[in-house]
Amino acid sequence: MARKINKQEVIVTGFGGQGIVLAGKILGMAAALGDHKESTLVQSYGPESRGGACCAQVIISDRVIQYPYVNMADVLVCMSQSAYEKYKDQIKPEGYLITDKDLVKPDGRREVFDIPATRMAEELGRKMMANIIMLGFVTAVSTLVSEKAAREAVNSSVPKGTEEMNLKAFTKGFEYGLSKLKGKEKKAAGKTGAIA
Amino acid sequence: MTKRQQTIPEPRNRESVEFGLIMENYNIILFLCNWGPHAAYQQLQDNGYQIPPEVKMVRIPCTGRISKALLFKAFEMGADGVAIVGCNSGACRYGSGTLTAENNTEDTRSIIDLLGMGKERMRLATFLPDESGALKTFLADFCEEIKAMGKSPVLPSASRPPETSGESVRQILARYDANSCQDCGKCTASCPLALSGKAYSPRNLVSDIIRGNDTAGKINADIHACLTCGICYERCPSNVNFPEFIRDMRCILNRDGEGSDRTQPHGGFFQSLMRTMTSPAILPDRWKWLPEDIQTDPDGKILFFGGCAPYFDAFFKKHQQVNTVDIIADALRLLNFFDVRPRLMEAERCCGHDLLWSGDRTNFLRLAKLNTEMIRDLGIETVITACPECYHTMSLEYPKNGIQPGFTVMHLYTFLEHEIDKGAVTFKPLPHRITYQDSCRMNRMEEIRDLPRKLIQRLSVEQFREMKDSGLSALCCGNCAWTGCDAYTKALQVKRIRQAHDTGSDLMVTSCPKCQIHLRCAMEDPFQEAELKMEMTDLTSLIARTICWE
Repeated sequence: MARKINKQEVIVTGFGGQGIVLAGKILGMAAALGDHKESTLVQSYGPESRGGACCAQVIISDRVIQYPYVNMADVLVCMSQSAYEKYKDQIKPEGYLITDKDLVKPDGRREVFDIPATRMAEELGRKMMANIIMLGFVTAVSTLVSEKAAREAVNSSVPKGTEEMNLKAFTKGFEYGLSKLKGKEKKAAGKTGAIA
Repeated sequence: MTKRQQTIPEPRNRESVEFGLIMENYNIILFLCNWGPHAAYQQLQDNGYQIPPEVKMVRIPCTGRISKALLFKAFEMGADGVAIVGCNSGACRYGSGTLTAENNTEDTRSIIDLLGMGKERMRLATFLPDESGALKTFLADFCEEIKAMGKSPVLPSASRPPETSGESVRQILARYDANSCQDCGKCTASCPLALSGKAYSPRNLVSDIIRGNDTAGKINADIHACLTCGICYERCPSNVNFPEFIRDMRCILNRDGEGSDRTQPHGGFFQSLMRTMTSPAILPDRWKWLPEDIQTDPDGKILFFGGCAPYFDAFFKKHQQVNTVDIIADALRLLNFFDVRPRLMEAERCCGHDLLWSGDRTNFLRLAKLNTEMIRDLGIETVITACPECYHTMSLEYPKNGIQPGFTVMHLYTFLEHEIDKGAVTFKPLPHRITYQDSCRMNRMEEIRDLPRKLIQRLSVEQFREMKDSGLSALCCGNCAWTGCDAYTKALQVKRIRQAHDTGSDLMVTSCPKCQIHLRCAMEDPFQEAELKMEMTDLTSLIARTICWE
């Protein structure tokens, strides 16, 4: 018997133009370059990149990856409603569903980790940084990549001159993720508000 | 607790008490009503009874006339015990005197208890003219009890030489560049006191002081009347910092014996209280009211500095709904909500704000030194406070007056904004239309000025509407540092409350406990109560009530 392979499959999906593919690429790079694992990326070409549902499939594993396509994801990241409708069934029962809070209305059949990434990016002044905020959030709530690796990958993948801004966006998403986890933990312990 | 035990003066041993060796060292003040008990007292003397030598009797017309300030003043001046002795309830010649005395005694007792002096140091008793025997027993018993408790930890301020700065009016005029006044009068035109009808002009006041007759009565009164709210400074084209100029002038007047003592509201009770806290041997016991749900860490590096709210509540207990300790409790709950378990300082003292701004720099410095030393000894790195005045004083005035804290001072709002901005928290809907009463001290500090509004914007309320005068031109709540309270400040408060009603709001949100105390006082008007009445809550409490995890 081969020992259990630690492999996680991710689908990042949303509108074309949201930086979905870049987010997938950074995720894979972080795993490969920062965390020294194997990773693959399959990105969708074609009409999606002009505005339809767009998708990046990432696999992160500590063994060589034989087959790069994802059927059932461990982590499904949705940044648009249409993408959610299209991919919502391609997630494992124990998988994580992560969405943009303002852009996706989930059907409520499973637990969701949501973040208003696009709104937060607008508040930061650049709507296009929503993907980096989302990446920070995914880093915080999942076990895909380490924070350090993700930061380094963001730093080396974004256009020159925008590193600082993107790292700030990453931090925003990451801290939101930590708060979210803390909130879930508190809620599970029955503490929702400040006054008992 | 060990520290507390160490510093409480040891009770003298019995023998020396009996031999009368140290008896004279004790000071027990006996406020004795002229009517019922005084007759009993004289009967004792007529019968040759030697009144214990430590008892200093003060004959008074009625116990109801002895205010909390007078009762407390005795302790400030070095009394070890205070007995207030009057007529039985119902036998009072003036009707309500005994009841008033009961209330005053109860409040003052709870305050000396908060100070850690022990409320047993104060007693109220009543005697009929023929109860001399009972009076005799009472006196002996009280003296015995006080001696068992030992000397009072208070160091009378009169026994300590004041620091004399030797500063002249000319130096202060130069410091604030008052000579650059262009006589434009913008200060007077914006001064809330002038606008509420008082013959008051910052511009004239400065030119009168420049002309040199700085001891004239009117000028002194005007110096003490200023609210130090700072609108004039905001407006001044020459950038003359009028509030700080006034503050330093008050210090000079105070040094020269022209202080505001006689005109201080509440009989100067609060100044007295704060001066008492300058005694190093005082170990306040100010946290015993703390609700059980609050978690603190006795070894933490983050200290929560509460402020004087417990004393205010005890003092204003009989007034409508003054409940400012809730702000402290809610601030602590919010820290707990974000997993911060702060340390509390058992022997926390007043920050000194009110002493400094009422002109008593000497005692302000004593408090500042005691506070910073104690905080530093605990190894604290960050001090968080929810009081705008504590924040202003510790972060700005301590360093300006040569006391380097050696720890970071942070306002609770800064902490909350930082934590809430991380996300994943939300606010339950609040079925209120709200308006916001600015705190003067917070408004004049750029780094926290916008925070209350930022936080309010996050709340989910029915409506938030600003009053006519808001932000930098906001109106003061009418008093500062327990000085200058008169008909004009009342008019100002009424005007402010009307502005709040005009916004169509049903809840006024404040950020300073004193704004609440002062505006609630104005609402107690017997003629306009129904018209003025409005619910008030501190922003901290509002956040604590509605915040929740997403």
